[in-house]
Amino acid sequence: MRFTDFTAFDLVLLAQGLGVNLALFLGTSLIGLVIGIAWAIVRYYRVPVLSAFITFFSELLKNSPVLVQLFLVFFGLPGLLHIRVTPVTAAAITLSANTAAFVYVIAVSGIESIGRDQLEAARVFGLSRWQVLRHIVAPQAAAFALGPLIALLVNQLQVTSLISVIGVVDLTKIGNILNMRTLKPFVVWTAVGLLYFAAAKLVAFAGSRFEKRLRAHSAWRGL
Amino acid sequence: MRLDLSVLLPHLGFLAHGALLTAEACALALIGSVVMGAFVAIARTSSSALLQRVSYLYVDIFRNVPFIVQLFFLYYGLPEVGIYIDAFTTGVIALSIAGGAYASDVIRAGILAIDQGIIEAAEVSGLSRRVLFTRIVLPIALRTSVRPLGSVLINMTLTSSILSTITLNELTGSAQIVVSQTYRPFEVYVVLLVVYAALTYLVSLAIALLHRRLNRDMMEAVT
Repeated sequence: MRFTDFTAFDLVLLAQGLGVNLALFLGTSLIGLVIGIAWAIVRYYRVPVLSAFITFFSELLKNSPVLVQLFLVFFGLPGLLHIRVTPVTAAAITLSANTAAFVYVIAVSGIESIGRDQLEAARVFGLSRWQVLRHIVAPQAAAFALGPLIALLVNQLQVTSLISVIGVVDLTKIGNILNMRTLKPFVVWTAVGLLYFAAAKLVAFAGSRFEKRLRAHSAWRGL
Repeated sequence: MRLDLSVLLPHLGFLAHGALLTAEACALALIGSVVMGAFVAIARTSSSALLQRVSYLYVDIFRNVPFIVQLFFLYYGLPEVGIYIDAFTTGVIALSIAGGAYASDVIRAGILAIDQGIIEAAEVSGLSRRVLFTRIVLPIALRTSVRPLGSVLINMTLTSSILSTITLNELTGSAQIVVSQTYRPFEVYVVLLVVYAALTYLVSLAIALLHRRLNRDMMEAVT
């Protein structure tokens, strides 16, 4: 006998799936942010070989499908290094690295958006390179980079749906399971789509709130 | 731990076949998404509030729901309403609809950038609204948005790897088959990563050439 009706427990399943997506999204975004900014700082200090390598690596990550990267980490790494990689670990590694590659580009353009005259003035005042980065570059670059960063995060939230392909039981996987059981694709995928849509809107909303706060110093105050 | 790329040699023809399928799907989807995007962009820049709202809803939904969910919606949903088409056609349709949302934004920006005087001149010359759109507005808008449309195409090339989840054996799908025959996931997916990066690099080169060719009259004015 097959059980083909929707039950109240399906809602719990969907919520669980969304939780997996959101948790991985938040975790990998944080790690990706830290790594991406670290790479940008390496470039800021013009470390000889390392910066060229980082640029190449981030270009490679940006210009290849996330799905292939996931396969490479999940199927390739265990084969090459004879280690065990769980789907969640593979997803975390891939998404972090992918986010880092995009954050790197945004951070670099944020750093480069600051005029040379400011840097020179700060150097003349006797600030060290680190102090310039910390007090002059970082605050302005953050305000500059926040817009693209939020767009990136909204995009990365959708990219998390791909981890279902390597077997992480996330929202898309739950949708697949429900679809196979109930054979009602329109209802299932509309529900899944709506949940993703709501999550994306939430991220965008939170981001714009935060952006408004960061830019409060230059906001139009009215006459 | 060893990296032996020579195991791939007997499978190169098979992979090339997959790459061809990817290229075909992307080319068809590009045409589809530009047509779709042009119509939606016209709707978004029209004077009718209803058309504007409906087209904005379309763009908003298809940009904020993961592509894999849209794909499953179509792939499992279309047979439900009596439309039986193969995975390739479903994939191209899904790519066109999703790409159309991005393309419409690009074309809309191109339309909004047109000098108001040109449109007024065309109106004064007595051109009908249809001719005004097809002969004046769209050529200018499409020509200036070649470059951003190119990045839509690059994104589409990367997104097309997701079509492998609906049993379409394009580049990623055929790579999975090669993995199951050679048991060399790392080699196969590393090569795949580089192939995709090379592919998108070639596309971006071609786009830059096309952009320069189409806008050559504007270039001369600058130099």
